[in-house]
Amino acid sequence: MAHINCIKDGEIIVFANTLLFSKDALFKCLYWYGDKFHTSVSFADVDNYCVKIKPLSTAAINSEDLELYQQKLERDLIDFQLRDVVTKETQNIRDLIIAKAFSNGEFDEDPPGDVSDPVGFNPSL
Amino acid sequence: MIESKANRKFKEAAFYNSQNDGGYFLLPFKFHRLNGEKEILVNEVGDYLILPTGTTATIVNRQISKENNSELYGDLIANFFISEEAIHPLIDVLATRYRTKKHFLNYFTGLHIFVISLRCEHTCFYCQVSRVTENRDQYDMSIQNIDRGIEIMFKSPNPHVTMEFQGGEALLAFDNIKYAVEKSEKIAGEIGKQITFVICTNLALVNEEILYYCKEHKILISTSLDGPQSIHDSNRHKPHASSYALAIKGIKLSREILGEDQVSALMTTTTLSLEHPIEIVDEYYNMGFPGIFLRNISPYGFALRTEKSKYSTDKFIEFYKKALGRILEYNFQGHYFTEDLARIYLTKILTPFNTGFVDMQSPAGLINGVIVFNYDGGVYATDESRMLAEQKDFTFKLGTLNDEYKDLFFGAKAQEIAQVWSNEALAGCSECAFQAYCGADPVHHHATQGDMYGYRPTSAFCQKNMEIIRYLIELMESEPKIKKIFESWISKK
Ligand code: SF4
Repeated sequence: MAHINCIKDGEIIVFANTLLFSKDALFKCLYWYGDKFHTSVSFADVDNYCVKIKPLSTAAINSEDLELYQQKLERDLIDFQLRDVVTKETQNIRDLIIAKAFSNGEFDEDPPGDVSDPVGFNPSL
Repeated sequence: MIESKANRKFKEAAFYNSQNDGGYFLLPFKFHRLNGEKEILVNEVGDYLILPTGTTATIVNRQISKENNSELYGDLIANFFISEEAIHPLIDVLATRYRTKKHFLNYFTGLHIFVISLRCEHTCFYCQVSRVTENRDQYDMSIQNIDRGIEIMFKSPNPHVTMEFQGGEALLAFDNIKYAVEKSEKIAGEIGKQITFVICTNLALVNEEILYYCKEHKILISTSLDGPQSIHDSNRHKPHASSYALAIKGIKLSREILGEDQVSALMTTTTLSLEHPIEIVDEYYNMGFPGIFLRNISPYGFALRTEKSKYSTDKFIEFYKKALGRILEYNFQGHYFTEDLARIYLTKILTPFNTGFVDMQSPAGLINGVIVFNYDGGVYATDESRMLAEQKDFTFKLGTLNDEYKDLFFGAKAQEIAQVWSNEALAGCSECAFQAYCGADPVHHHATQGDMYGYRPTSAFCQKNMEIIRYLIELMESEPKIKKIFESWISKK
């Protein structure tokens, strides 16, 4: 069954495919909505998350604003998914940079490639 | 064909090209939409690129290539956003850059604030801590506590410590300041440490004798100037006198005796100030200061509770932008006049370095950069922490001057605060593009949200930093002459 993002009874409902979006990305994205909205995440079915946000009564968000917020949520979900990919793909290199930064040389490596003498000054070669 | 030497350092271009099969590896970076058209990408060491919206998606989805997007590809490689090898060949350069950004951690606590007296002759409406009283015994720091504070200060591994005297009004306890300065000078000479002295004062009590003493002992003066007379006197109430007139007279006398650059002034933005950004900037300019530090009122203690000084961050940001506009006008006319909050951010954005500004660091500057010895012997993580203590909130009290150094600086309380003092590990901040330019402020979040960890979507600290950083970048990108001015602010010390 196709899921269509919509606004229903003052609530914004957005679907995210579980193969395309990570749970981490969803939660990191929704974190930024907690000041103005009630937020929830559930499974629509095995392949889809269902993300719902509903304005807090104190947030002064009128119904015309909801469409803009829907657009913002859809965009933010994609942004946070991209951030999640970068974070996960670069975790090891980031750890390595920080470990090297705070080490006293024990993680330093020789320069990559053959150590050579470009202009032939080293008499031992 | 030219035969390559066996030991030649650089291989033929074909060798490098053959390595690139169109794939590349991502290096750690974050991004943020600046506006409808542009997004900013910031790498792990704070270098940034401004690119059309949607570029991050193309990078992450491997839709750019050396052949089809050679300029972008080159920029991304050269600026450490992507790498053609799993482990970047210059990873040690990146690590060194990272270490440079965190250099402020190297020496540990530098700034030691001695609250030499809580007594004050002013009755400023936003000040919670001061007392108008003659009772020296109760509200002045005892000689015993001064001695112990000095002992602890010299245990800091930092080769250059700063001893800053605060109040109340510090000059009410000038005899004790003299005692502390002379004792510290002697010890610093004996153990080979450098020491800088600062007196924070409203200057109402300053006189030639005090200033000649400051000159002899190279003591810097830090005073308060909130703007023109109408604003300053309304913010800072002194019974039967104009606080402004005394401050101006004191600034002039201090400059005469100590020299122009030995006297600095700080302003505090109250609700009244918000309506007068231009007049406040003009006052600093006309008084011959080289710049101004546009500071919002700290949301602590009394300041938080009085309606007169409560304002929204939106209002402060609006004030800030107007005042910055005025400052830039002076610069367009050829005058060198800076804004210090912008200078702090710009140093982080445009240079490989960080600043020593303790309110905007990660790990936070509290304990790592600053410690406060209160008049009554309490030891606090920051100046704001001791203000909270005046309201019986001792969350950031690390102990007393009778405690051991290791228990104060590395004890259970310090460890508890350390859990939340790095923005790299805080929800919201961990994925924020401005992380490298921003900091962590557990005291602010405790004071305003009741939780040291803080909740970024409603944090005034976050809102202010995010918008001002974004605005500064937008300004630089929109007008090359503004970027030039900003660069001149950070290249001149
Ligand atoms: S406080 Fe806000 S602006 Fe600063 S790093 Fe955290 S999320 Fe970003």
